[in-house]
Amino acid sequence: MRRVAIVGAGQSKYGEFPEKGIKELFFEAYKDMASSVDKNFDPKQIESAYVGNLGSGGFQLGNMSALVAEYVGLPYIHTVRVENACASGGYALVAAVMDVMSGAHKMVLAGGVEKMTDVSGMKQKYWLGVSGDTEYERLAGTTFAGLYALIAHRHMHEFGTKREHLSMVAVKNHKNGAQNPKAQFQREIQLEQAMKAPIVAYPLNLFDCCSTTDGASSLLVCDAEVAKQFTDTPIYITGFGTSSDYLAIHDRINTVTLEGTKRASQHAYKMAGLTAKDIQLAEVHDCFTIAELLAYEDLGFCEKGKAGQFIEEGHTKIDGDKPVNASGGLKSKGHPIGSTGTGQAYEMFNQLRGTVQKPIRQVKGIEKGLVHNVGGSGGTVSVSIMER
Amino acid sequence: MAHVSVPMYWRTIPQRYQMMGQKCKKCGAVNFPPKGVCKYCNASSEFEELQLSGKGKVHTFVLIGAGGAPPEFADQMKAGGSYPVAIVELAEGPKVIGQMTDVNPKDVKMGMPVKAELKKIYTEEGVIRYGFKFAPDLEGK
Repeated sequence: MRRVAIVGAGQSKYGEFPEKGIKELFFEAYKDMASSVDKNFDPKQIESAYVGNLGSGGFQLGNMSALVAEYVGLPYIHTVRVENACASGGYALVAAVMDVMSGAHKMVLAGGVEKMTDVSGMKQKYWLGVSGDTEYERLAGTTFAGLYALIAHRHMHEFGTKREHLSMVAVKNHKNGAQNPKAQFQREIQLEQAMKAPIVAYPLNLFDCCSTTDGASSLLVCDAEVAKQFTDTPIYITGFGTSSDYLAIHDRINTVTLEGTKRASQHAYKMAGLTAKDIQLAEVHDCFTIAELLAYEDLGFCEKGKAGQFIEEGHTKIDGDKPVNASGGLKSKGHPIGSTGTGQAYEMFNQLRGTVQKPIRQVKGIEKGLVHNVGGSGGTVSVSIMER
Repeated sequence: MAHVSVPMYWRTIPQRYQMMGQKCKKCGAVNFPPKGVCKYCNASSEFEELQLSGKGKVHTFVLIGAGGAPPEFADQMKAGGSYPVAIVELAEGPKVIGQMTDVNPKDVKMGMPVKAELKKIYTEEGVIRYGFKFAPDLEGK
C-alpha cells in the first residue's frame, strides 16, 4: 500500500463569526492551507475531498461536501461529507489517508467545518444531543455534559479522582490556548475560578465543558512519493486506527473506559510500530475535562485510574514529559464539531514542523505526535499518528 | 423539533412500560434495552422474553443543573430545579440509564437500592410519554 503524507494544513480562526457561514469558513481554512504549501500548489491536482461535518448549522445537510468544494474552486471531484458526530473530522482524515493508501487518488483534501452559533441555544442542544443515544440517554433528560458527568462521577468513586483534577485540565488547556492566536478563548484561568464555576451537571461545572464554536480546517494529503514536490518537510501519517463502541454508555461493559480509544490507539501504535511511550505530543479530545483524563489512560499514557495523579504531577504541561493539547484543546481553542479532528492535525502538522505561530507553545524538537478524536461519549473514536 | 416521534415511541412501549428484556438462548445473559444480537456473546439473536424486576442499584449518577437539561426537559427543570439521572445496575445484570424520582437529589448515593416506577417522562407532539424512572427502594439492600 502507498505511504501517505500531509504537505499543507490550514485552519480558520475558531470562535463566533456572525459574518461567516460554512462556505466562508471552509474557504478561510482552505486558503490558509494553500498558503502553507511551500511550493507547486495546484488546485487542479486535488482529486477528492472528505469533509467532516455534523449539522451545517441546520442549513445544508444533504450534499454539503459538493457545495463547500465548488465554493473554493474544486468542482467535478470525488466529494463526501463524513459524519461521525464530534469525530467527523478525524474520520475525514482517515478516509483521505485510506483513499491515498489504496492508490485511487494521489492528492486529496481532508477538512471539516461547523457553523454552530447561527442556531439558538435550545437548537444547539437538540443537534448535539442527537449524537448520543436518542432512545434512552436523551429521554433520561441528559445532554453530553450529563453523560460525561456520569463517567466522571464513577471515575471519582472508583479511583479517588478529585474535583481539582478535572479543573487542572481546564487550567492547563487555557494556559496553552492563551498562546494560540486562532483559539476561541485566548485567556488563562485560575484553578479556584475553574473549581467554583456554576454547576452544569454535577460533578461537572461550566469550566469543565467546551463551548459552541464556528470554524473550519483543511489538510492536503498526498502520496508520499510526490510529497517532496510540495515541501522539504512533509509530515507522514504512519498509523491510524478507528473503533466504534456501544452508543449508549449504559450498554458498555466498563463505564470509566472508552473502549473505542483503547482499540483505535492500539491499532494505530501497531501500524506505526510505536508504543504510547514514543509519543512526544498528543492533541486529545477534551470536550469535557474528564474526557482528557480518560484519554491519558485509554491511550496508554498512564495506568487506568491514575489520570488524576498524572495531571497533578505536571506530565502533560507544555514543558512536561508528555505534553497534551498544546493548542489549548477543545476547551480553550473551541470545538467546531466537524472541524475538530482535522484542526487537531493542523496543530500537530505545525508542531512537528516547528512552525507554530506563537513560539511560546511550540514543543521543541519533536518527531512523533498523536491526534485523538472522539464522537459523542465514545461511540466513535479515531486516532492518527503523525511523524516528521 | 420532534425527535422521538409518536410511532417511534410506540414501538418501544413493551420496554418502557413493562421493562421487557431478552434472555439469550445461547449464553443466558439478559439484554436490556433490547438488541438485535446478544451484546454479551455476540453469537445469538434468539431470545426468551423476560420481564425485569425493575430493581437494582445506582452504578453512577449525575445531578443535572441549570443549563444541563435538553430543551424538552427545560420545563421540568424550571418547575422542579436540579434533577438526578442514574445508570442503574439491574438485578438481572444489565445496566440502564434513567431519571431518579421521589428522592431529594442530595440523598442519592452510589450503590443505593432503587426500583423502577412508571412515570410521566415528558411531552412531545402534544402526547404525554410514559416510561420508567427509578425511586429509592426502601426494602432493598
